[in-house]
Amino acid sequence: MVRYVGGRVGLMTYKILVVDDSRLARMAVAKVLNAVQPEWTRFEASNADEALIMAKSKSTDIALVDFNMPGRDGLTLAAELRELNPSMPVAVVSANHQEEVLRRAREVGAAFLMKPLTQEALSDFLADAQKRLARRQ
Amino acid sequence: MNEFLEAFLQEARELVEQASGDLLALEQRPDDKGRIDSAFRAFHTLKGSAGIVEFHAMARLLHAVEDVLGRVRSGAEPITAALITRCFGCLDQVLTWLRYIEEHGKLPDDDGSVGRLAAAFAGTPKDARRPGATPNLDMAGDFPQPARELLKTQIVLLGSEERSGAAGRFASVATVVLNVLRACGRTDQAAEFERKYLACVRDRDSRGLIDAIEALFHANEQTASTFEPRTVESIAQEPSARTLRVDVERIDALVKLAGEMTVVRNAFAHAVNLAQNGGASDTLAALLKSQHAALDRLVDDLQLSALNMRVLPLRHVFQRFPRLVRDLAEQLGKSVRLIMEGDDTEADKTVVENLAEPLIHVIRNAIDHGIETQEQRARSGKVPAGTIRIAAQREGDNVIIVISDDGAGIDTARIRAIAAERELLPPDALQAMSDEEVTNIVFMPGFSTAKEITGLSGRGVGMDAVGSAVERLGGRVSIQSGLGRGTSVRFSLPFSVMVSQVMTATAAGQEFGVPLENVLESVRVPAASVVAIGEAYAFVLRDATIPLIDLAQIVGGEKSFPAGRPNYDVMVVEIDGQLVGLVVEHLGERMDVMLKPLDGLIAGTPGVAGTTLVADGKVLLVLDLPELLQ
Repeated sequence: MVRYVGGRVGLMTYKILVVDDSRLARMAVAKVLNAVQPEWTRFEASNADEALIMAKSKSTDIALVDFNMPGRDGLTLAAELRELNPSMPVAVVSANHQEEVLRRAREVGAAFLMKPLTQEALSDFLADAQKRLARRQ
Repeated sequence: MNEFLEAFLQEARELVEQASGDLLALEQRPDDKGRIDSAFRAFHTLKGSAGIVEFHAMARLLHAVEDVLGRVRSGAEPITAALITRCFGCLDQVLTWLRYIEEHGKLPDDDGSVGRLAAAFAGTPKDARRPGATPNLDMAGDFPQPARELLKTQIVLLGSEERSGAAGRFASVATVVLNVLRACGRTDQAAEFERKYLACVRDRDSRGLIDAIEALFHANEQTASTFEPRTVESIAQEPSARTLRVDVERIDALVKLAGEMTVVRNAFAHAVNLAQNGGASDTLAALLKSQHAALDRLVDDLQLSALNMRVLPLRHVFQRFPRLVRDLAEQLGKSVRLIMEGDDTEADKTVVENLAEPLIHVIRNAIDHGIETQEQRARSGKVPAGTIRIAAQREGDNVIIVISDDGAGIDTARIRAIAAERELLPPDALQAMSDEEVTNIVFMPGFSTAKEITGLSGRGVGMDAVGSAVERLGGRVSIQSGLGRGTSVRFSLPFSVMVSQVMTATAAGQEFGVPLENVLESVRVPAASVVAIGEAYAFVLRDATIPLIDLAQIVGGEKSFPAGRPNYDVMVVEIDGQLVGLVVEHLGERMDVMLKPLDGLIAGTPGVAGTTLVADGKVLLVLDLPELLQ
């Protein structure tokens, strides 16, 4: 359900999943997220398996996934999440912005965000994500 | 320190350990793609973490390493021993920075030195292996094995005493060395060696030529020496961790006990009610008795549970050893294989943290004095690489750690000689001792032989320091050895460290400890308040008459009370419900001690609960009051 206030979309609160094997990196994302969308609920996972369990059990709406993880990397997980829930906006986060990574992200339908994550970049991604989710309602 | 820096410190340390493990594994198996990938990711994540806390110097350095490892990962660059050494140097720098942050609570200032360090990683290293050469990595230098042997042989040849044919020897040695260098693609070093050779010929300096050849082995270490290698001592001084990882189950156990305590508390509240409302006294007594028993049991369980949270796997100490052994072996020119077993054995945090230094000292000794050089071992028919085995396991209330090596063993005849020379023991006692007992003389203070005081084996610390460190932890250490076969050092440590609190006091000129749980209070009693009751004495404390007992007399000293003093220092203790006033010379202070139960000769001594070593090395006897006052 969407309520419009002065033409602004998005007074919905969403559930966002943050996946990164580094606790410090998750803390950094949390900080940026709190600045951009303090009302939203945040779930964390430190690897692909945990992330899938979280996504299913908590019905998360949006996912931020670190690319560089042991085991299955962020791009593989992004593909799995999109398969689980094709309408879930997913962003792959990485310090490594080689063409290869960007291309693979596009292929699985995931956005790409640079590390370290800035408020601006996250804000843009979340605004876009909300629009897409709103359209699905 | 803000939470980001705290999280950064913890994570960075873990990543450094992970990267170290990967690099060590890669030295043994350079083709292990899994390890290359893991090392790359560790450095990449470390770089990211540095960025998060805005430690730009560190991020820059790690970025340089990440770039090189990235090229290794994609096969564009080979992995070499020199590269691994440089990566280790980088990790050492990171650890130095982490120690700074831990101590000062903030990031160090950027002094621009990182630029130089990072540059060491940039570009193609001059010592790149020629494509097609077998990646056989030795511990020191970057030569393939056959080349190393050849160069070593030249050194041996030059060492020959024969005067005749010296010039010819020089020339043929030089030819071989130059050929080896050129075959390995080291044209720069070849040119330099040729210059040195010509100078040595002119001066007839065979020592100089030998040095020049030896310098070739260390040439690669020169480029790496832009980093400060961590000294062996600094490895031992890792700051004691302020956080612990604890199994959720152990925390749940504690939470459960806390819940049970609530039940007991409520029962006591009920008892208080009963007492206030004049309930039947035997009902009250029965209730109190049963709840006291429950509380007693709970407190014991709680103590155990809390102590169990303090235990750490020995891995925390052991994980530094592979790197340590590698560095020491390299420095001393020995070849050493390390085997570790039982690193998941647990012990109390205090024990684990304080064990590092003694264990490291023993390992040093094993590599320095125990394990022989490859040549010596070959002559004795042993395999060239020495083995050090560290094995840990739990045995009842104790944790046993054994460090053994297959080196030269201990020469008991020499120990007897030194002990006699230094008059550590009377000659007939020495005569009567078995070889095994003689071996353990190394733990006696004053034993350290001059040979041990190398820069490496410490500033003359010796095994007696190891012995007292272990004793302070409430443990024991012993040593066994077979000449020519090897040495084995056995540590036995308490699994959990029972820290008790005592109140100290002086009596009969000696300091004693009294368990704090027995002590009610300390008072100064004026002589006027002392009342004689028949043969005994007492004083009044808040409506209670408390018998006075002379502690000096009880512990077997001279009667010290009453002695015509204006005041007496009295420790009021409770024993089985009875209050007693112990008259002492001086009252001391409260202390936390690790109580060591009595064993050996004094095991049966009545009245003593245990002993503990105090800071100045003296032994404090802790009294068992009920026994003492019987």
